[in-house]
Amino acid sequence: MRIISRRSIAVAALLVVAALGANAQSAKQYEVTKPIKIEWWHALESQYAPLIERVVAEFERQNPLIDVEAIYQGSYKDLNEKLIAAHAAGVTLPAVTVANTPYIAEYGASGVCEVLDPYIKATKFDLGDFGSGLKVASSYGGKQVSLPFLISTQIMFYNKDMAKAEKIKLPETWAEMDSFMQKASKVSGGVTERYATVIPGWDQWYFETFFLNNGIAIVNKDGETTDLGAPAAIAVASKLKQWCDSKYAYWAYGKDASSVMRQNFIEGKTFSVIHTTSLYNMYATNCKFEVGMHYLPGAKTRDSEIGGCVLLIPRKNSQEVKNAGWKLLSFLTGKEVNMLWARETGYMPTRNSVTRTSEGKAFLAEKPAFKAVFDNLDHINPRIQHTAYSALSKIWMQELAKVIIEGGDVAQAMKKASILIDEALQD
Amino acid sequence: MRERDTAVDAARRRASPRVRRERFKDFLCVAPALAFFAVFVYYPLVDLFRIGFTNWNLIRDEYKYVGFKNYKWLFKGSGLDTWLASLKVTFSYTFWEIVITLVGGILLAALFNREGKAFAAMRSIVFMPKYIAISTSAIVFMWILNDQYGFLNYVLGAFGVGPVAWLNSERTALTSVLILTGWRVVGYGMMIYLSAMKGISKDYYEAAELDGAGALKRFRHITLPLLSPTTLFLFVTTFIASMKVFQSIDVMTAGGPYESTNVMVYWIYDLAFVQFRVDRAAVVASVFFVILLAFTAATMKISNKSVHYDS
Amino acid sequence: MTNQALAANVRARRLRAAATVLQYALAIAIVLIVVFPLYWMIISSLKTSEELLQAVPSLWPAQFRWRNYADALAMAPFGRYFFNTVVMTVGIMGLQLVIGSFAAYGFAKGQFPGRDALFIVVLGALMIPIQVTFVPIYGMVAKLHWINTFAGLIVPHAVSAYMIFLLRQTFKSVDDSFLEAARLEGMGRVGVIFRILVPMCKPTMMTVGIISFIDGWNAYFWPKMVTTTSFRRTIAQGVYELKRSYAGLETMNQNQIMAGAVMAVVPIVVLFIVLQKYILSGFSKAASK
Repeated sequence: MRIISRRSIAVAALLVVAALGANAQSAKQYEVTKPIKIEWWHALESQYAPLIERVVAEFERQNPLIDVEAIYQGSYKDLNEKLIAAHAAGVTLPAVTVANTPYIAEYGASGVCEVLDPYIKATKFDLGDFGSGLKVASSYGGKQVSLPFLISTQIMFYNKDMAKAEKIKLPETWAEMDSFMQKASKVSGGVTERYATVIPGWDQWYFETFFLNNGIAIVNKDGETTDLGAPAAIAVASKLKQWCDSKYAYWAYGKDASSVMRQNFIEGKTFSVIHTTSLYNMYATNCKFEVGMHYLPGAKTRDSEIGGCVLLIPRKNSQEVKNAGWKLLSFLTGKEVNMLWARETGYMPTRNSVTRTSEGKAFLAEKPAFKAVFDNLDHINPRIQHTAYSALSKIWMQELAKVIIEGGDVAQAMKKASILIDEALQD
Repeated sequence: MRERDTAVDAARRRASPRVRRERFKDFLCVAPALAFFAVFVYYPLVDLFRIGFTNWNLIRDEYKYVGFKNYKWLFKGSGLDTWLASLKVTFSYTFWEIVITLVGGILLAALFNREGKAFAAMRSIVFMPKYIAISTSAIVFMWILNDQYGFLNYVLGAFGVGPVAWLNSERTALTSVLILTGWRVVGYGMMIYLSAMKGISKDYYEAAELDGAGALKRFRHITLPLLSPTTLFLFVTTFIASMKVFQSIDVMTAGGPYESTNVMVYWIYDLAFVQFRVDRAAVVASVFFVILLAFTAATMKISNKSVHYDS
Repeated sequence: MTNQALAANVRARRLRAAATVLQYALAIAIVLIVVFPLYWMIISSLKTSEELLQAVPSLWPAQFRWRNYADALAMAPFGRYFFNTVVMTVGIMGLQLVIGSFAAYGFAKGQFPGRDALFIVVLGALMIPIQVTFVPIYGMVAKLHWINTFAGLIVPHAVSAYMIFLLRQTFKSVDDSFLEAARLEGMGRVGVIFRILVPMCKPTMMTVGIISFIDGWNAYFWPKMVTTTSFRRTIAQGVYELKRSYAGLETMNQNQIMAGAVMAVVPIVVLFIVLQKYILSGFSKAASK
């Protein structure tokens, strides 16, 4: 008995020592020991450049062995193209790159990203502080293939001065949209002096909430079909077209659409625009009036979706590069950097320890416009994950823009889109 | 035939080692170029056809052979509509670029065909756009064609027209791209015609004038026929170049809106590097190559019969 | 002379004068239309953002904002783009001229079995543009680790079938007696090519060199495929990249984008003006082959 217990103690002790050793070993395994130069690819527009410089400088101060070159690669779509081309070539890969959340499924499925779980474990990275929606949005197949970086959601920016002067009531429900459109626009003799709003048609993310809140499944549970051809979806699309046909709103589409839409808002040519919260500071600094944020109207539900980007490490990098990449990635997704971003741009705090505490209140005092977002934190859902999502979005965007701008039958267009989407989903 | 072969063989056999060495050195002169074409032109062409039979997508490392699956997608599946639309856009772009180069070129050649420094300078100016990178001029044209802030819509607005959605409507997008094309190529067509017109002997015109032929008649019955080799040259080179149009599309429209400017090369690029369907891209490129080859061969053949050569 | 004949003469002269005026007027109108985009580019590059976007556009900047140029330079590394473009263009031109001269000599003056059959191989290459074969070439270049390198930019364009074709025509027109004389003096092939043929065909060499240079300078398709960062990006992509770097705010920054365009256009316009004699003769030569 005694002998046994002594032996078992010894065994236990040995195990503990071994475990400790292994733990130390695995943490060490991700250390950076030699000077290294790495690239960080991002899609952050020029207005964020000074902030990026500051963040990178701070990182390099804390990690003197790592030299970071932050490279702007264009839009999320451009960045995606570059990343895949580099992945195929197996060279010129960045150590860390941002990615728009819908790409994560495709990347996860085809092994573009390094699985981060071992790194998280070894370096004791605090994953639990992210909201659960964010964790889902940044993982694939139960594995953490990326981490939440800059998070935003759909929002309506409006001209507060105009709203006050003309007593314009912002729409809380889909049903109120009609009267809002009439009241907020100025149309005379078929010519629009001022639009009620502008709907971005160049990315389906902006308008898909209208469909989701009306109870339409963009991808059904089977993962192989869509409900976009159903009567409910056609009804939503018809409304959107009706507002554009009445010239209350316009459907922003085409290569320069985004910049023209912003310019229209800045110049007061439209009462509001539907855009992403991340651009709050851009609007606030460029507009000569007070900019308000209004949570998009609801119907059956009043939810919005997570937008913005996650950070990932391309799998085909060497281990040294990945280690340096992990240092950068964990620094960038950390709380301090996140709050810096939230303060200086329109991106949202990602940490529960901010949003659910007094820190969040302090943040709101600084940026009261974000109340619209904070009031709805529980209604911001992860986006649909599907490997064919980019194909789906392209088809939908194109068919909807075509029928709204060029004219035609909405039902037919949505049905055609749904057939093509079904095919893409099943492929 | 046989006899000749043996004669050549005999000659070859008789060649001394020195002559053979010389021949080998002559061959060495062309060898680098030939090796280059083998590696960077012919091998990729063969490889292209091979990839068409795989299911390679740019993201995944491994792939397998899938037979005619990609061809079925193109000719019988969902690729067909896009393919036909793309062919239509490519040919209509090509048609208009050829019309602008040939008709615009010859009209400007007639207009600018005058001695003197002023006209020489004006000719150079009209010719110059050809040398400005398409991508750069495309950005300038996008600014002029911008539907809300562009200069063109302002001018049209002054006449009560518009605003036209130039690059953002499927009705006008290709026209917008062709406006840039026209600006670039019309001076080139003019220059080629002018240099050919200089080569036409004055005797023809003098003889015609004595016969009482007016300027228009002289142009139609002397200048035009004598320019036919030049027209053929312009036709063939413009055809080949414009079928490959990419830059202006990439910068100005990205194939849109709604694929209304989705020309063939842009579509191949989009399939390979945007949709990552390298297999499908390879099939579209293979078929495109066959079309290019067939059309060029046909043009050459027809033109050999009908062109008037001035001996 | 009768009065009638005199009157007819006057009428004819008036008609001719009117025709001349009309010709001038039309020609000037066309020149103005052609020049306008370039003019608009330049004056837009000097306007302030407010003036740029005003409802009634101004034809002359009320206030010159030269800062646009500095701002554009701060947004995109134009210096690097220029450097990359010069190295790439000179590399392509040099290789094309050297390899092309050797090949043209071999095909024009060389004696070896299968010469004309092999020349068809060269002509065939004219029919296979990189726009068709770029997918396999990209795969090859990627395997060689040439993405974002000068090798990747230059090597796939190192030989031009068109240039070999033109040079061969020209070399053929040189009388064999010159070459034989040189050979008798003990000159080797390299000497014959670069000390006899090339100097004798200097105008053609100049034109094909310039055409190759300008094509390289304006190349867009392949450089776009083979570069993923601004590290090896070239000027033809540069302005587009500048525009994209203003993502979402392009409209109010069109003045700076136009400043970038001016900087990209100026070198090629200067080159055109200096060398236009060669450029023009080159094209008429090509057309009348």
